[in-house]
Amino acid sequence: MITSIAWKNVWRNRTRSLTVIAAVTVGVFAGVFAMAAINSSIVQRIDAAVNEELSHIQINSKEFRSSSDLKNVIPEPEKVISVLQNIPEVTRIAERIIVRGIASTSAGSTGVEITGINVGGEEEMFTLKTRLIPGTGSYFGSDTRLNSAFIGEKLAKELYIIRYILTEESFGTLEESGVPSSVAEKLKPLENQRFTTEKKLTEAITGLLSARESKEYGMMIREAAWSYREGSRIILTFLDADDNQTGAAFRICGIFRTNNDLFEAMSVFVPENELRRLTGLGEGEYHRIIARLADNDLTDRITPEVTEALPGLEVMNWKEIQTDLAMIADYMNQIYGIFMALILAALAFGIVNTMLMSVLERTRELGMLSAIGMNRRRVFSMIMLESIFLSVVGGVAGMVVSGVVIGITGHTGINLVKYSEGMEAFGYSAHLYPTIGADFFMILTVLIVITGILSAIYPARKALQLNPVEALRGE
Amino acid sequence: MKVVEINDVYKTYHDTEVEVKAVNGVTLSFEKGDFAVIVGPSGSGKTTLLNLIGGLDQPTGGEIIVAGHRLSELKPSELIDFRMEHVGFVFQSYNLIPVLTASENVGFILNLQKWPKEKRKARTDEMLASVGLSDRHNSRPSQLSGGQQQRVAVARALAPRPEFILADEPTANLDTKSAETLLDIMEKLNHDEKMTFIFSTHDIRVMKRARRVITLEDGRIVSDVRVNNN
Repeated sequence: MITSIAWKNVWRNRTRSLTVIAAVTVGVFAGVFAMAAINSSIVQRIDAAVNEELSHIQINSKEFRSSSDLKNVIPEPEKVISVLQNIPEVTRIAERIIVRGIASTSAGSTGVEITGINVGGEEEMFTLKTRLIPGTGSYFGSDTRLNSAFIGEKLAKELYIIRYILTEESFGTLEESGVPSSVAEKLKPLENQRFTTEKKLTEAITGLLSARESKEYGMMIREAAWSYREGSRIILTFLDADDNQTGAAFRICGIFRTNNDLFEAMSVFVPENELRRLTGLGEGEYHRIIARLADNDLTDRITPEVTEALPGLEVMNWKEIQTDLAMIADYMNQIYGIFMALILAALAFGIVNTMLMSVLERTRELGMLSAIGMNRRRVFSMIMLESIFLSVVGGVAGMVVSGVVIGITGHTGINLVKYSEGMEAFGYSAHLYPTIGADFFMILTVLIVITGILSAIYPARKALQLNPVEALRGE
Repeated sequence: MKVVEINDVYKTYHDTEVEVKAVNGVTLSFEKGDFAVIVGPSGSGKTTLLNLIGGLDQPTGGEIIVAGHRLSELKPSELIDFRMEHVGFVFQSYNLIPVLTASENVGFILNLQKWPKEKRKARTDEMLASVGLSDRHNSRPSQLSGGQQQRVAVARALAPRPEFILADEPTANLDTKSAETLLDIMEKLNHDEKMTFIFSTHDIRVMKRARRVITLEDGRIVSDVRVNNN
């Protein structure tokens, strides 16, 4: 009965209740969606770091990270592999030779980390192959005439391997992308001109187009002008195991594009046997052994196990290597908490205000209820239930809307390409796929009910303080 | 059989700088089956006396005994239960619960008293029939006239079979026809069910029907007359 009256009371002033419910819905949606977007950004970054750059656990000699001496190899690598193989949660293992050196072309040079990989096993270990930019090669294909190197787009740009040329084909691409012919016409003076950097092309475009056109079509024009000459080569120079300078020309067998500019700029992958030959390292000598786990969440549990089993070696997990990322991942709970608190505080203020108005305008009725025998507990319960109904209806509506929007955008993605430069500099994707766990929704539901209860306390106390005689007089 | 005993009751207000004796040494009792009105000019203490009898307010002196309960000895929470069990209220402005239907309003106190559903429905139907509203079970207060609303209020007050009904100016907002209909119903219930009615009123139509007229002036009883209206 009390429940039924409370529910009916919610709809007594339909406009007011719907306004509050709409406000709660929008508030919950905004909070949950923002949370999902932030969460996805961090989850994507962690997944990329683990799947493309670091793996879960890295093992090397204690001196390796601080010294560039190639002799700092792992003693008894077979023992390391045996330890890892005996841990059921370890799903994949790979050995690496790592050399610091210089990559150069006739146009430029830069410091890099050259990683010798087992080409066959690498595809199982990392998903970097899927990041291959179409048209830049076939990863480590069958052409073995020359040493092959798989490099990042950023490095390719720094070495001027990537250039920008608006060819006839580029103009065709622009037309297909919906760039107006008037804009294409303005760009005609640039046809077949070669720009060594994106910046130079951008400056040329800005000189020909209006500010609005540059902003709207600049990205498409740069994409269309992006040009790579297949079979480009780089020279990799480094010290061998005897500290003699050595090096060789490597044919680019593919360029990868990730969301991490630093990783793209620093990484060169070459076949392990080539690097072993050039450096003079012996068979079975490796600088690093990396392990993948079945799940990111296992990292904290498995790392100490491996460390204990390999006392003479440095065992580090992805959180210890990329402390900034680990810190953000660890702060996620706090970020969740802050967002939830903001959502619930907004909800609480709305509910308190509405319930207080509702109580004050029902003074006479509440007096009557007390007069005819409705006790304080029942009056309190009624106000409490009204508040909970308001909160839950708004909260559930907000979560349903959030769920639907997150479901759609989680599939289609949110394109933040406009801000990609800034985001990718820090390793974050400009394409977000919002996602949030079901547990977040469950916790939020419970917290919304608790907020509804807490928000009702003040209005309910006001109702209990009413003197029936005065209330019946309408005072 | 005495339903209400009022012994030398006072009610003094100190709300303003002036002390107001709303009820000033009233001694009075009501028998089962009384159909009594308390009359008097505005400010004479009628409503205050009714509130004291109904346990809505506590006297500053004297003693009120209702159905064997000394009201001054009851805690506030016990007073609420006392009102639910023993007193039926009819208010000037009907005071129905606007979100409930006529039937739900009548059954409200029965619900608070945890009557079984079947018995509750039977009693609700019976009470709505007794006030001539069998066809308005599902009407909300806003869909009823003032007279009909007041009849629902009477049915609600009577449904749990209280010791007596306190009706504060029940006809004040009603037209003549509605007031006469309401009074007919109350008289019939008084006659058939021996229900005790205590009115406070200015309405001559009510006074004409009363079998006992108590006149208050400045919080004191100036006359208490039994009238034979049969």
